[in-house]
Amino acid sequence: MKKELINLTINGAPYELEVEPNLILNTLLRDRLGLTGTKISCGEGECGACTILVDGKPMLSCSMLAVAANGKNITTIEGLAKDGELHIIQKKFIEKGAIQCGYCSPGMILAVKALLDENPNPTSADVKKAIGGNLCRCTGYVKIVDAALAAAKA
Amino acid sequence: MFRTLKPFEYLEPKTLEEATKALSKRGAQAKVYAAGVDLVPRMRKRVIEPKCIVNIQNVKELDDVIAAKGKGVRIGSLASKRSIELSSLIKEKYFVLHEAISSIVSVQVKSQGTAVGNLCVATPASDVATALYVLDAKLNVFGPSGERQIPIDEFYLGVGKTVLEPAEIITEILLPAPAANTGGAFAKLVRTAEDIAKVNAAASITLDKGVCKDVRISLGSVAPTVVRAKKAEAILRGKKVDQKLIEQAAKAAAEEVAPITDLRSTAAYRKETSGVLVKRVLTKALERAQA
Repeated sequence: MKKELINLTINGAPYELEVEPNLILNTLLRDRLGLTGTKISCGEGECGACTILVDGKPMLSCSMLAVAANGKNITTIEGLAKDGELHIIQKKFIEKGAIQCGYCSPGMILAVKALLDENPNPTSADVKKAIGGNLCRCTGYVKIVDAALAAAKA
Repeated sequence: MFRTLKPFEYLEPKTLEEATKALSKRGAQAKVYAAGVDLVPRMRKRVIEPKCIVNIQNVKELDDVIAAKGKGVRIGSLASKRSIELSSLIKEKYFVLHEAISSIVSVQVKSQGTAVGNLCVATPASDVATALYVLDAKLNVFGPSGERQIPIDEFYLGVGKTVLEPAEIITEILLPAPAANTGGAFAKLVRTAEDIAKVNAAASITLDKGVCKDVRISLGSVAPTVVRAKKAEAILRGKKVDQKLIEQAAKAAAEEVAPITDLRSTAAYRKETSGVLVKRVLTKALERAQA
């Protein structure tokens, strides 16, 4: 299979990569670039564990071809901390006990980031809508919603 | 679930003509890629194993623009469901479509997936399609023999089947101007909020001096395609609509559908709740038409 050359930005850094067209974006991020913060669980867009931001919008890295990410600006969970300091949403998730096993957390946090970038003063209902595509099987959602609202207020 | 996809030939046509030529040459072996939301998981599961993927994201004639066209609105075929949901034009003039997309809970699926892609999957549970049926939407299509227009209620042939030829590509969705005093509504029943509909329904009512001048009722997940409840519509058309008449129409709608039993629901439950949902959407649509 002929490889394709793609240029994209990941967490602010430019990348020029040769990819097989059948490479899934999630596999590129995790296996080739070592960005294992992005998880994979259901692999069919039900759980949101693989959520990344593409041009600022939450999308499913499990359901996207890497080659189709050419020219896109991607943010993964690794891109949130700045100079060794966690992002306010990450801090609030820890503070409010919104993380247990942690598997849904990267996707949850990015879904919340996409919300706060669009709407800095969300209601609890707005937060619930924003994480509608993310499943958590540990904490329930109360603490996650609390953390998101606390991050908005901080 | 496989982590990898089987190899395929990958094409990124720059024009519609290039895209349709590539598709005609390969026929059913090729699949169109617009966002991947539906296609990639099915390829992972080996439900489909296309020999060629034609990515249409860079076709210059295609866009994601939602804008006024004539007296109605056009939605470019690359528009995401999320951008349609958030569009003020859609919220103001075609609220039923906004309501249908809002009922899809995954922001990721809505941000990535296009409305046209959702139509092309041809699931009878499509919330988008059920809403488009009552809006009398038309699909503009480009293919090897030129352009044509397909009314939404002539688009589906069955589960996973549409009237599109393998080399045809939908370029835009057209929504005709809503008549004055028109109200619409959408509702659905689901197992969990994130699942696809067990039954969904939409209605649109146009009033003229309190009389129902026009009405459209559609139901999803109760037949191999989204369907119109035409007997129920006939009960309302030309009449002064009240709650009693709505109940009659809802009963007729439940009688005219012939759903199946599957993992999400039983035929009997779907039949019963078709009536319940039709009653709900008609009541809401009437309220909105009167407002």
